[in-house]
Amino acid sequence: MICRLAIACLILLTSQPTLSGEGVTHWALRPVEKPPLPEVDNKAWIKNPVDLFVLARLEEADLEPSPPASTGDLQRRLFDDLIGLLPGPDDEFASPEITIHKLMATPQYGERWARHWLDVVRYADSNGLDENAAHANAWRYRDYVVQSFNSDKPYDQFLLEQIAGDLLPATDQAQTHTNLIATGFLALGPKVLAEPDKTKMEMDIIDEQIDTLGRALLGMTLGCARCHDHKFDPVPTDEYYALAGIFKSTRTMDSLETTARWHENSLSTPEEHKLKENHDQLLAAQQKVIAAFIEKANQQLLVEHKLKQLPPKPEEQYSKATREELARLQNTLERLQADAPVLPFAMGVTDGDATNLPVFLRGNHETPGALQQRRFPRALGTGQVDPIGDDVSGRLELAQWIASQDNPLTARVMVNRVWRWHFGRGLVATTDNFGKLGAKPTHPELLDWLAGWFVENGWSVKKLNRLILNSATYQMSSQASPEAIERDPNNQLFSRAPLRRIEAEPLRDALLQISNLLDLKMGGYVWTFPNFKLVFDHTSEDATTYASNRRSIYLPVIRNHVYSLFELFDFPDPSTVTGHRTSSTVAPQGLFLMNSPFVLRTTEALATRLLNEEPVDSGQRLTRLYALVYHRRPSAQESKNGITFVKQFAEMDNDRDSNKGPLASWQALCQVLISSNEFLYLR
Amino acid sequence: MISRRDILRQTALGFGSIALTSLLEEQVLAEKPRELKNPHFVPRAKRVIFLFMKGGPSQVDTFEYKPQLQRDHGKELPFAKPKVTFAPTGNLLASPWRFTQHGQCGHYVSELFPQVAKHVDDICFLHGLHGTNPAHGAASLKLHTGADNFVRPSMGAWINYGLGTENANLPAFVTICPTLGHGGVNNWGGAFLPAKFAGTPISNASVPAKNARMHHITNPQWTLAEQRMQLDFLRQLNRDQIGSPVSSDLESRIHSFELAFRMQTSMPEIQEIGDESEATHKLYGLDNPVTEDFGRQCLLARRFCERGVRFVQVTHSDSKVQWDQHGNLRRGHAEKASEVDQPIAGLLEDLKTRGLLNDTLVVWSGEFGRTPTVQGSDNDGRDHNPWGFTMWMAGGGVKGGTRHGATDEYGFYAERGKVHIHDFHATLLYLLGIDHEKLTYRHGGRDFRLTDVFGNVVHDILS
Repeated sequence: MICRLAIACLILLTSQPTLSGEGVTHWALRPVEKPPLPEVDNKAWIKNPVDLFVLARLEEADLEPSPPASTGDLQRRLFDDLIGLLPGPDDEFASPEITIHKLMATPQYGERWARHWLDVVRYADSNGLDENAAHANAWRYRDYVVQSFNSDKPYDQFLLEQIAGDLLPATDQAQTHTNLIATGFLALGPKVLAEPDKTKMEMDIIDEQIDTLGRALLGMTLGCARCHDHKFDPVPTDEYYALAGIFKSTRTMDSLETTARWHENSLSTPEEHKLKENHDQLLAAQQKVIAAFIEKANQQLLVEHKLKQLPPKPEEQYSKATREELARLQNTLERLQADAPVLPFAMGVTDGDATNLPVFLRGNHETPGALQQRRFPRALGTGQVDPIGDDVSGRLELAQWIASQDNPLTARVMVNRVWRWHFGRGLVATTDNFGKLGAKPTHPELLDWLAGWFVENGWSVKKLNRLILNSATYQMSSQASPEAIERDPNNQLFSRAPLRRIEAEPLRDALLQISNLLDLKMGGYVWTFPNFKLVFDHTSEDATTYASNRRSIYLPVIRNHVYSLFELFDFPDPSTVTGHRTSSTVAPQGLFLMNSPFVLRTTEALATRLLNEEPVDSGQRLTRLYALVYHRRPSAQESKNGITFVKQFAEMDNDRDSNKGPLASWQALCQVLISSNEFLYLR
Repeated sequence: MISRRDILRQTALGFGSIALTSLLEEQVLAEKPRELKNPHFVPRAKRVIFLFMKGGPSQVDTFEYKPQLQRDHGKELPFAKPKVTFAPTGNLLASPWRFTQHGQCGHYVSELFPQVAKHVDDICFLHGLHGTNPAHGAASLKLHTGADNFVRPSMGAWINYGLGTENANLPAFVTICPTLGHGGVNNWGGAFLPAKFAGTPISNASVPAKNARMHHITNPQWTLAEQRMQLDFLRQLNRDQIGSPVSSDLESRIHSFELAFRMQTSMPEIQEIGDESEATHKLYGLDNPVTEDFGRQCLLARRFCERGVRFVQVTHSDSKVQWDQHGNLRRGHAEKASEVDQPIAGLLEDLKTRGLLNDTLVVWSGEFGRTPTVQGSDNDGRDHNPWGFTMWMAGGGVKGGTRHGATDEYGFYAERGKVHIHDFHATLLYLLGIDHEKLTYRHGGRDFRLTDVFGNVVHDILS
């Protein structure tokens, strides 16, 4: 089987210069060296070193940075950025520093930032592709990511756990379990579970792991090298198979027979095992009791009714007392079955038999070439010296090689991701591709300075967040001067803050929040669906519901059929690595805000909340509504317009038989407010 | 740099242009979309109706007559079966249905399709189709997207990207009652293309066609007049909030609501088929409970086409086993064929009468065919067969009354006039005036195509 896409990149792009011939190392592969801080004229603007790099470029272009954002805009932006919720009406804004500090200390921070990471690792609660089997245990990995961000787990440690958690030492069982859960990163990919060619299936799964690892952690497309030497990035085919050998030596699947089953690591304690055993014994005993009871009752039936053989449904002819006793026994059995302890498992990998793979010529597993000793791509890092031992998979060594300060890509890729999540665009716009065909950094010195700073500061994501958020660069207004529009039309120089539409999850969470419906309970198994069962089969019936009022991160992510609100508002395809979400404006979003049951339900709840709250005067009610939705006071004109709208709407509604009184007209107003640009965009 | 005037002009142009902000953003990212300004070739078709027979109808029981198979019933297949198959099969199984010749061209059609058989002079049969994967999901994804192990844009999305829409109030790509299994949304998705190019589903296969609606197209609570009032107030709020200079993003948002509002009338209007004559209802089989459901889908397809929708997919997929007869072939295939025969014939007839068949391409296919070898305990089933199967086309630019290619004497492997799925895609785009090698989209540093690096236009079938 030939990897056709790889050939596509060969044929389409052969006209471009290749790396190997140049003798100059591609920028992303040079060692990270913190550059000196640049000199600037407008020193008063500088809040921290980030600003020096940004301002130096602006001054070169003879541009002034935008003035600081209003406190209202900045507060809203920080809330969205750090916790993905709106400021409440009573949330005060003393200073950016205090707000940043407070928000980062809330558990909602981890939920917001975990979701970014889940985009990158193509997290989903179902397999997608051909057979859409449920990942009913994927949520443990999701919760692990939330906890990791909340505890500010050093990024290098975070990566070690996800690539090789099962091979790391642990001091206690909780840590062992955490480490096992983390390896879900490698197991969560979409797989062709009904692929009849089993070798192909196995190589496709390995390819998916390598591709995800490459793009998510190193910003490199390694998958191409499956069929040919990578034309633009320095990964020859033999090194691809040397790397693939590490995953071949890793157990990801338990069975390849249709429908194939992925591996899950057991998380049960000896006590839980014992408990389960005991419970199984109880169940068996109860079943025996019931069988004996039926046997006796049947005998009795035969004798009492002088029958030769039992009727088809003998229990219907038992005496009332016997039937009641049987029902009681069965009831107990059912309760026991319902209470059966479910032993916990987590999607993840473990080491298999250590083996080397041959090169498969042109990606075809039926034409093997020379055997490749397991190793890492030479050009992508200098860390590894010792060869991988014959008896280990090499996954731990791979993890250490990636999570190393000597790896030129790991820190650069992550600081760029964090920058993207704060600014809507990375310093390297192609967040998942730092290769020859990716975008070049707009601020290469800043990128390297941040990468160096990140490693020096213990790979702490929270510290990096704080550094960026406390910069004058971040705190600018989104208003662009005419000069900026002319000389920096696409905001490549960060001459202003970006105008951004809120993302799908903050949109949903905000609607639940203002209508007082939001349930902030954290973690756990929210979606009840049997593991491995198909979420969609030939009936096309959707058994998944999204009715929960919990935060969006806890809703099921179904590949091939993402929740409509998510899909409409640019939730990424959960089958692929996504560091940069697009932001579209399409009519079906309008239909959603106008007509969806979710928007009607939440706006009705918001209107009900308004009508139930004291005081009752329309003007005060409108003030309250503005505080909840926009976190500001309405102007006199806005107040007048809003009240007029409610009045006119009520008049129109009065003509209908089914009019709902003031609730309807206030709901109509609420719906307009949450559909407005002020609500949907961050300034 | 795109000026505000450009934005307003483009936004006014149509449904598609509303997604302008994502285009702007992609320019920043150097992931440039390359919309087709002019067709590469003279288009022979303006629009496509794709009749998808989910499950895999058997070519040797429908449209490709194999007398040798009838003679050698029960014998061993005299050559090797594929190395990798979906499931084992036994010896040859003759078709339980009689084939007779039809039309001027004298094409053999089995008694499963007596109505479609009347239209063979308008149909071009491709008997040498072949794909790569013998499992439903992968084969379906291959047929719809050209890829079976990656998520890629679907053919309708590519066509939408290349040609856009002819009707500002409707989506360019509609899929009626699609199946959610075996690739689900990805079979009509846009993958990395901007969101606006993905298909718009009208419910899914679990919903009877008469209840199928576009998502969120109606409001259970407000009248249109009330919504108008809301949108007017929204417009006022947004106008007050737009600072100077105008942000294109905010402007597009305002327009997207207006388009949504118009769609609330334009979409349901298409589905209200009361204005169609009784003869038309009958023509599509709406008077018969067996054909009513698929007939309605076919009629909707025609109504969408008439109003400028570019690509309409109609899926024949029910809650049972579709065309997937590993056993019970006699009953299953007879039942499936009876559900679609009249509606498909009615659609062809109707398109022809209305002069639409000239520039509408109708395509009929499953994700694969079935083996001529037997399966199942009662010797009444066939396995999946991606190595050789039949697809047919009618209308827009193809030669009617012809056949192209053939499988071997038993119907197992495509042997002559082989047409791979990639070749089908290349031909489909060609008929619409698009060079499949030139319709590309840059993503993640690569220029992608529907046909990847493959695909040859099947010139022999062009009229």
